Amino acid sequence: MLSRVAENLYWMTRYLERAENTARLINSTTQVLLDLPRGASFGWDVLISVVGMDALVKERGVKLDEAGIMRFLILDEDNPSSIVASIHYARENTRTFREVLPMEIWERINRLYLYIRENAQRATQGRGERYAVLHSVIEQRQSIVGLLMGSMSHDIAYQFLKLGRNLERADMTTRIVDVNSAVLLPTDEALAVPAMERLWMSTLNALSAYQMYRRHVGVRVRQQDVVRFLLKDPHYPRTVHHCLDEIESCLSVLPNHSEAMKAARQAWRRLDRMQLEGLPPLVLHQYLDQIQADLGEIHAAVAKQYFHLHHAPVAASGQNQ
Amino acid sequence: MDILSQNYRLHEAYDELIGPDHKPRPAAQPLFDYLTTLDARTLEDRRRAVEAAIMTMGITFTVYSDAGNIDRAWPFDIIPRIIARSEWRRIEAGLMQRLKALNLFITDLYNEQHIVKDGVFPLDVLEGSKNFREQCRGITPRFGVWAHICGTDLVRDKDGTVYVLEDNLRVPSGVSYMLENRQLMKRLFPEMFQTCDILPVDDYPTQLNDTLAALSPRENERPVIAVLTPGIFNSAYFEHSYLAQQMGAILVEGPDLVVKDDDCVYMKTIAGLRRVDVIYRRIDDDFLDPEAFRPDSVLGVPGLLRAWRAGNVGIANAPGAGVADDKVVYAFVPKIIEYYLGEEPLLANVPSYLCMYPDQMAYVLDNLDSLVVKPANESGGYGMLIGPRATQGERDQFARLIRENPRNYMAQPTLSISTAPTLVDDRLAPRHLDLRPFVLQSSRMHVTTGGLTRVAMKAGSLVVNSSQGGGSKDTWIVDMEGL
Repeated sequence: MLSRVAENLYWMTRYLERAENTARLINSTTQVLLDLPRGASFGWDVLISVVGMDALVKERGVKLDEAGIMRFLILDEDNPSSIVASIHYARENTRTFREVLPMEIWERINRLYLYIRENAQRATQGRGERYAVLHSVIEQRQSIVGLLMGSMSHDIAYQFLKLGRNLERADMTTRIVDVNSAVLLPTDEALAVPAMERLWMSTLNALSAYQMYRRHVGVRVRQQDVVRFLLKDPHYPRTVHHCLDEIESCLSVLPNHSEAMKAARQAWRRLDRMQLEGLPPLVLHQYLDQIQADLGEIHAAVAKQYFHLHHAPVAASGQNQ
Repeated sequence: MDILSQNYRLHEAYDELIGPDHKPRPAAQPLFDYLTTLDARTLEDRRRAVEAAIMTMGITFTVYSDAGNIDRAWPFDIIPRIIARSEWRRIEAGLMQRLKALNLFITDLYNEQHIVKDGVFPLDVLEGSKNFREQCRGITPRFGVWAHICGTDLVRDKDGTVYVLEDNLRVPSGVSYMLENRQLMKRLFPEMFQTCDILPVDDYPTQLNDTLAALSPRENERPVIAVLTPGIFNSAYFEHSYLAQQMGAILVEGPDLVVKDDDCVYMKTIAGLRRVDVIYRRIDDDFLDPEAFRPDSVLGVPGLLRAWRAGNVGIANAPGAGVADDKVVYAFVPKIIEYYLGEEPLLANVPSYLCMYPDQMAYVLDNLDSLVVKPANESGGYGMLIGPRATQGERDQFARLIRENPRNYMAQPTLSISTAPTLVDDRLAPRHLDLRPFVLQSSRMHVTTGGLTRVAMKAGSLVVNSSQGGGSKDTWIVDMEGL
């Protein structure tokens, strides 16, 4: 597998996963907002810090109201993480390795790109339209993942797709969980407790996890249970635990994986040690930051091991000058 | 639909499917029997279905000037172009003869130059050739073959004679469209393939793979074959990716490859460097190796020529093969065939006037309004003058260009190139076309069954290049012997 192609495959799924999760993040936040009791407050700008875009937003002078932030997250091509930009990059990436993917994958990605290009503007015209368009993005992306699983050999190329998908997914799950740490609840406990419950229910819904949570954890939706589920449940496919499992299984098939494996194990150990009972919002936020940093380490190790040759032509050509 | 009741208007040009008696030619009879069973609406539905399939399959080509929207669907006409197998056999023999002679010619030019010493090929032509590469002197590649893949453009004049228009020996493209066109036709008109005896085309990737594998410097191993593309912005990127996919080869860009101290070529993989045996390059000589050719090239691989000269990698087409892909050299091909093979050319050359000879230049300047003038080294239909259609200003400009650089120009009479029925709106109309078969040579030779038929979609237009608004058709070689 060419180093360049491996890197493009990896980023292609990261971009698609990012687009899907940004859509999930926006839809769930909208839900949270609708359910907030009087006396609670929430700023849309929290979404910006959740996706780690504060600097760019400041630099570009984005207006920090709902409309401005939605434009930035959905269709701003200058924001490399916007849904339109992510899907655009994913499509351009796919063109460079069409020969390693089943023909149909390209067709689906192409179709998703054409769809979002047509409809992105509409998605910024109000909450109803926005929900419909973003929901469709999530659906189309799901069908691409399904097609990949069902029609592509689980070869080295596939491992890089899976690796990118799971790294991005784990990262976005922590970010979606993090949204709630920014909500200020009313001091009146009679209002705060049910509000809290609805808040976490929305988070579960954003990750399509509510039903599985109920089956495996229970009907009561409490912060510590939800956080434990989304970070540490081994079986639900969007939890950090599950993604780390998948990352390890990818790495185990790749050659020379010791450094990347070490980073993955380190992330494991730290996740394992986290005590999630009765966390104040600030501490939870720090925990999530830590997980994101650990995932960043895995990425760095993967890039160094597998993509490095493609970026270091001088080192590769040795001393022949 | 009944084509004959539609007043299909025959030009003075030869029509590939309809005879001068307004009846289908024998090889086309089964097609028309079938078309008669369809009404115009069904035909239009099928045409739309083809267009939709082209969009989703992403069969595209790229136009250099189209920034932003970088790929475009290539217009495809659903009425095939049909050639009887008996005629095709003669053409096939002629194509092989031509390529064999051209390869002998290139080896000779880079070595003893007997043909120049014997006075058959003029020294000034050689000295004026932009594509002669000093770096290739003294080399004889394996099998004595430089051009392993040749795309030869053929046209038919009004008397039915097939002429060779040019030999593309550098990086000829179009074969993927030939293959995709057949896939489309089989998807859309499966019935026709049951009733007509249409010879298949789909063994080309296997033949190409074998041709390339034979160039591997390492025996006893499954050779690693790479298709070297300039990248996604190249007009033929779709084809590069398609052929790599079909052959199970690896699609690489210049920066994916590196030549080490041992003069071997390696590609950069996730598991480190891996040796490459054969490179099917789709990059022009100029950009192939910044160490040997243009130093500013970022598309190529430094040291590639060195590795090739050392015999550590096979390159198809070999660097320097383009010396015989020159419209002035073209005029000498009949002589080249006689000189090396001692045979009469089986395929006709279009009479050509070389402006480097004063008497011929005088003739060209006097007859600019009836000739086609071509620069020696351009491809893709760029920089041509079609005399009868040009304005006086354009003709004056060409006269100036010719006087400034006679070696760079040649002229030919305007052929009345053949037409074939093409679906335009809901009826059939004659459109001009050519044919590009692909000829392979390494340990053995192979010619595609038919080739890529390119058609000028505009009424009366003679320009079939995809970069200039042409389209394509499926090409059928039909076995008539059983009928």
